[in-house]
Amino acid sequence: MSPLLRICEWLHELPLSTSIRESENAYSVIETVHVLGITAVLGTISVVDVRLLGGVLTQAPVARIARPLIRLTWCGFIVMFVSGALLFAAQAATLYSNAAFRIKLLLLALLALNVVAFHSTVFKSVEAWGSSPHSPARARFAAFVSLFLWSGVIASGRAIAYLNRH
Amino acid sequence: MQGATWAFASVEVVHLLGLALLGGAVLILGLRAVGVILPDQPLGVLARGLVALLSAGLVTLIASGVLLVADGPLRYYANAAFRLKMALLLAAILSGLHVYRALQRGSQPTRVAIVISALLWLGVGLAGRAIGLL
Repeated sequence: MSPLLRICEWLHELPLSTSIRESENAYSVIETVHVLGITAVLGTISVVDVRLLGGVLTQAPVARIARPLIRLTWCGFIVMFVSGALLFAAQAATLYSNAAFRIKLLLLALLALNVVAFHSTVFKSVEAWGSSPHSPARARFAAFVSLFLWSGVIASGRAIAYLNRH
Repeated sequence: MQGATWAFASVEVVHLLGLALLGGAVLILGLRAVGVILPDQPLGVLARGLVALLSAGLVTLIASGVLLVADGPLRYYANAAFRLKMALLLAAILSGLHVYRALQRGSQPTRVAIVISALLWLGVGLAGRAIGLL
């Protein structure tokens, strides 16, 4: 048996995981919190992305919008991550082989790469270009990639439950 | 039947994307109204700047929402959470229009109106989640 599957089965059998599975409402409540966390994360990120694409708040410098919102994004991320980890633990053994779950994790990894790439390159010189309503092509590309991958995260996340049910 | 399930799921995904667009912008405005974030951005400027995103999110939500209900109108008609959601939605849209009219007049939207609107949208989201549980 693969070590990864063994870890998933161990998580699945933890008392916390079992109590989430066996509770009548816990799973739905955590799911709801997970969606609220995603709303905060994707909502704040899409405002920044659409600003980079020149769609909204074009009079405000990019850094003035992005820096304060990143803190809010992180708050949402913590909510999303903790609730997501609980949802995963409760179903770990079945989610291990869930194709949609694997795609979602892959897309999240690509999103992390996109964030690191954006922040270590073009965003470093944001003070130089951020006041213009038009962002450099690389910033617009990063924004587009972010919106595209996030749409994939939502779609694959929704598909997890459908695959698990059937 | 399998095809119909995936069609429904796809529309649900679009509905969730609309939720993120609208919810994110509403959250930002709500937190700005209570002074938690973006203190150097005047509330009116921020609200005016986000109108396009709020409208895009709302149009996406309504269009996908109508398609979801069209899948089984009678099933939704009898659902208490759905009725509550529609009532909250009406109130949320009216409060949003109230804020929008203040912006159109060139006056500052009141903090209270924005916070009430944000809370109503949270209620819409929670009632929406409950539809599937009833």
